[in-house]
Amino acid sequence: MLRLNQVVKQFAQPDGDVTVLNGANFHLPVGRSAALLGESGSGKSTLLHLIAGLDTPDSGDLTIDGRSSLTLHTNDWNRLRRDRLSLIFQQYHLVPTLTVLDNLQLQARLSHRLDTAFRDHLIDRLGLDGLTRRLPHQLSGGQQQRVAIARALLHRPALVLADEPTGNLDEDTSERVMGVLVDLVRETGSSLLMVTHSAHMAGFLDEQWRLQHGQLRRLSGA
Amino acid sequence: MAPATWPVTSAVRRVKAGFARLLRVLLTLLSHYRRHPLQTMFLLTGLVTGVALWSAVQVINAHARASYAEADQVLGAQASHWVRARQGQGISVDDYVQLRRQGWRSVYPILEQRLTTAEQGVISLIATDLLVLPADAATGDSGLAEGGWLQLATPPFEVWLPETLAQQLGVESGERLQLSSGRELPPARLFSREQQGLRAFMDIGAALTVLDQSRLSYLVVAELTVEDEARLNADLAELNPDLALVANQQRLDLNELTQSLHTQLSAMSLLSFAVGLFIVFNAVRFALTSRRHTLTTLRELGVSQRLLLAAIALETLVMSLVGTAGGLALGYGLSLLLLPSVAATLQNLYGAVLDHNLLLQPQTLIQAWLLTLAGLLLALAWPLWRLARQSIQSQRDEPADWQQDARARRRLLGFSMILAVLAVLLYFRLNSIVMGFTVLALILFAGAGLLPWSVALVLQGIQRVLPASAWRLNWACGDGLAQLGTLRTALMALLLALTANFGVDSLVDSFRTSLSDWLQQRLAADLFVQSDTLDIDALLAEPGDWLVESHRRNGLTVRWQDRPTQIRGLNTETSDTRALPLAAESDRASDWFDGAPDVIFANEQARYLAGIELGDRVQLPVEGQTVSFEVVGFYHDYGNPTYQFYLPHERVEALWSTAGEQGLGLWLSDDADALARAEAALTRAGARPGDWTRRDDVLAISLRVFDRTFAMTAAINALTFTVAGIALLASLLAIHQQRLPSYAHWRSMGVSGPEWLLIVGLPLGIGLLVTWLLSIPLGTLLAGLLIYDLNVLSFGWTMPLIWRFEPALTLFWLTLAVAGFTFAISALQVRLRLPQALKHLGEDAA
Ligand SMILES: Nc1ncnc2c1ncn2[C@@H]1O[C@H](COP(=O)(O)OP(=O)(O)OP(=O)(O)O)[C@@H](O)[C@H]1O
Ligand SMILES: [Mg+2]
Repeated sequence: MLRLNQVVKQFAQPDGDVTVLNGANFHLPVGRSAALLGESGSGKSTLLHLIAGLDTPDSGDLTIDGRSSLTLHTNDWNRLRRDRLSLIFQQYHLVPTLTVLDNLQLQARLSHRLDTAFRDHLIDRLGLDGLTRRLPHQLSGGQQQRVAIARALLHRPALVLADEPTGNLDEDTSERVMGVLVDLVRETGSSLLMVTHSAHMAGFLDEQWRLQHGQLRRLSGA
Repeated sequence: MAPATWPVTSAVRRVKAGFARLLRVLLTLLSHYRRHPLQTMFLLTGLVTGVALWSAVQVINAHARASYAEADQVLGAQASHWVRARQGQGISVDDYVQLRRQGWRSVYPILEQRLTTAEQGVISLIATDLLVLPADAATGDSGLAEGGWLQLATPPFEVWLPETLAQQLGVESGERLQLSSGRELPPARLFSREQQGLRAFMDIGAALTVLDQSRLSYLVVAELTVEDEARLNADLAELNPDLALVANQQRLDLNELTQSLHTQLSAMSLLSFAVGLFIVFNAVRFALTSRRHTLTTLRELGVSQRLLLAAIALETLVMSLVGTAGGLALGYGLSLLLLPSVAATLQNLYGAVLDHNLLLQPQTLIQAWLLTLAGLLLALAWPLWRLARQSIQSQRDEPADWQQDARARRRLLGFSMILAVLAVLLYFRLNSIVMGFTVLALILFAGAGLLPWSVALVLQGIQRVLPASAWRLNWACGDGLAQLGTLRTALMALLLALTANFGVDSLVDSFRTSLSDWLQQRLAADLFVQSDTLDIDALLAEPGDWLVESHRRNGLTVRWQDRPTQIRGLNTETSDTRALPLAAESDRASDWFDGAPDVIFANEQARYLAGIELGDRVQLPVEGQTVSFEVVGFYHDYGNPTYQFYLPHERVEALWSTAGEQGLGLWLSDDADALARAEAALTRAGARPGDWTRRDDVLAISLRVFDRTFAMTAAINALTFTVAGIALLASLLAIHQQRLPSYAHWRSMGVSGPEWLLIVGLPLGIGLLVTWLLSIPLGTLLAGLLIYDLNVLSFGWTMPLIWRFEPALTLFWLTLAVAGFTFAISALQVRLRLPQALKHLGEDAA
């Protein structure tokens, strides 16, 4: 599903260039989930940006859904993100003017993959019944993140990229939200790469990786 | 150390620390502008453009007022009396010298002459003695202060030509103009005095020498007391019984006369200032919202609300000072550009001549600056007040913003209803121009207040009828509603500009149509002759078969209601008089045509400005006494600043011995050579080339004058529209800048370029469409008010409102072009910045 090959990424900073990724290698098979751990500033978000095509590596290449980043142009990336990927962030990024229902259907509609039965199933599983006609600001943080998760899964993406999705939530809530996310990802058969600070959360996933000194290292797993 | 000083030093230290904190906060706030140069640019652009037009008009008005004041003293057009020779033969220099010897210091000599140049051009020359002019009049003139009169008065002398006249004649500075008589004028200097008009100016001694004349045309007498008048009369009778003291009937109070035009100019520039204030208001709001995080952080760090407000107020003051200074500089440049148009308007409407050299007084600048600052503070008060009322918590809370907006829209609607009611109430008490413009302003702002609500109504309406499957359209409408709060100021500014444009276009259109119809009717004859040398009796005694009909008019100017008033004698039998269309008439109107001695027609100016009605009796001065006439009809008399009365030709002749020829209209036969024969006959009877004009030429000239008169109106309107366009661009750029993180997120979910265009562009298009639609009824209302009320109050003219859709259509295309252009620019900005925004996706919105 996802393969990184000798990826290098540098940033120019006032105090000199910073090499965030220094020949990182990584592999994530179809349908598997991996947790990405690492210190603050180690480059986890940068890595996710590269994988989503939001930024480009300085050297090396990555293969995603069978296609090499070297052959993907802006429009290909746009289409790939719309149809095959989804992104979940700490800030839920809901469209404030759309209802919960419209928000969670958004990406599925954009990619013409709206499956109403699956939608109702997601609403049910995420406990969003009765909230669908509300506007995002009328929801709690945990509810908003569940809407964002539903949106990210409804079009059955091949790969879900999540950057500290529960960072804004309290421990209990975040554990519950995480649980549903992992279950649903398994259900849809998507792959999942999730950045987290919590080793406990990481334990929910199939694999655990650590980003350190620009390199990725697998910690454990079957 | 004395214990008493201790608290003082501590207070000083506290104040110092306070200032240091204020400065630190200010610098933190200002760092925003350093990082967002575009926003800074637009804040300043708004300020500069808004202030520029406003101050330009202020400068022009002040200049005009100064010009009139000066003109009152100089050259005699505004003299209180003249000394003239009864037989029109002029005044000998000896008589003049004798008068001055007798102590009449306020009498000065004028020589006026029409000269034909070697190339058959006609110029009029005016000469006076600068040395005897009242001192205050002389020093007001820069040419004299420089000692220019020495060149004027000593050989080889000089003739001063206004630049436009010199251009017409093709004379360069220093050249001598050849006359048809074989003489030549002294070297030319391109310089014009106040009230010189399109006339050449010379020193009187020089003129007498160069033109070989020995008599003066007349003497001008400055202010006279009643006793002085009697004394001067006695002295004149003794000196030379041929000389008469004549009161200047033409004397106009230019200040009063042109007041309405200056009020109109001020009103129009105020409108553009208002549009500029909208921009500022917008920019400040954007600056505050996009710095919400900074502000909140500062609050959380313990900076007090009061200190924060002080810092923001200080910041705005700094901005205002910079912006208004730029605006004033631009305004000054603009006033130089506008001045010729304004001068043309004034000359055409009132015969008032403005100098093209701008008189700029420092207090004008300061006044404009203070007014600007006052307006700015007004624009600032609202966002600051809102900020002050917000708690720290809600400053982080973004989504609540656009929800609150619905309440703001309703409040605006209520506000506009109140304004509308006020406008209606005031309308029924309308009796002055200032009040009229107040009503206009109320209507404009009521319309502006109505706009956001209307746009929201349309967007919500569309949303309601959309099927669920049209989710993109639905999203677009919802997004549009949410953005209305940030976009509405720009839309309101645009509405003001569109309304003003459409209203004034309709006014000018109606006026032009009425004027040209009226001219067609009034200029019925084929040839118009106005000549000092033509012997009309000889011409008409034996006309050839080229002449079908002739209309000889006589007339004079008297003083009535303390204004110069024209009396014209018409031939009641000619076809043009028979067809004279009357704006209003009583049943005795036909008596006028039958030559009844006690009835009179008056122009509309006398009706509306002097307040006479049909059936009223007017008392006109007739050589020492008055004669009473009943007003039985009113006629249109566009472009005339003075009152005028029509009487039958014979009646004028019988009553006033001083009445002179006022032009001759000739109807020619259809023969191909009729014109040539008419011209030959005119020449034989003493007329000179240039004394007659063909009908079509008069028409063309009149319409050209009209267009020139309204060129300035068009210029101001165009500028207001430009300011509104800038407002729109500034808003769109700011909105897109602010929403870039959202757009990046949309893009990451797969929203394509066309979809983005639809979501962001469609509501904008709908907003613009509603704005344009609303501007049509509002503009019509404006035009109606201008035509039926303000025009009558200002000029005393009436005309029908001629409503045409074309101007609105033109404005539609113009709006589309401006909006398309601004949207394209802002979309390009998004396109260029989106990749960068994508890289920062997921980070806390900065
Ligand atoms: N656009 C950028 N320009 C310059 N430097 C950047 C940029 N984005 C990230 N960096 C730098 O790259 C490094 C890695 O940042 P990144 O956001 O990937 O860290 P992270 O592992 O996600 O940290 P955290 O756990 O705090 O979110 C940091 O030193 C950061 O300063
Ligand atoms: Mg991160």
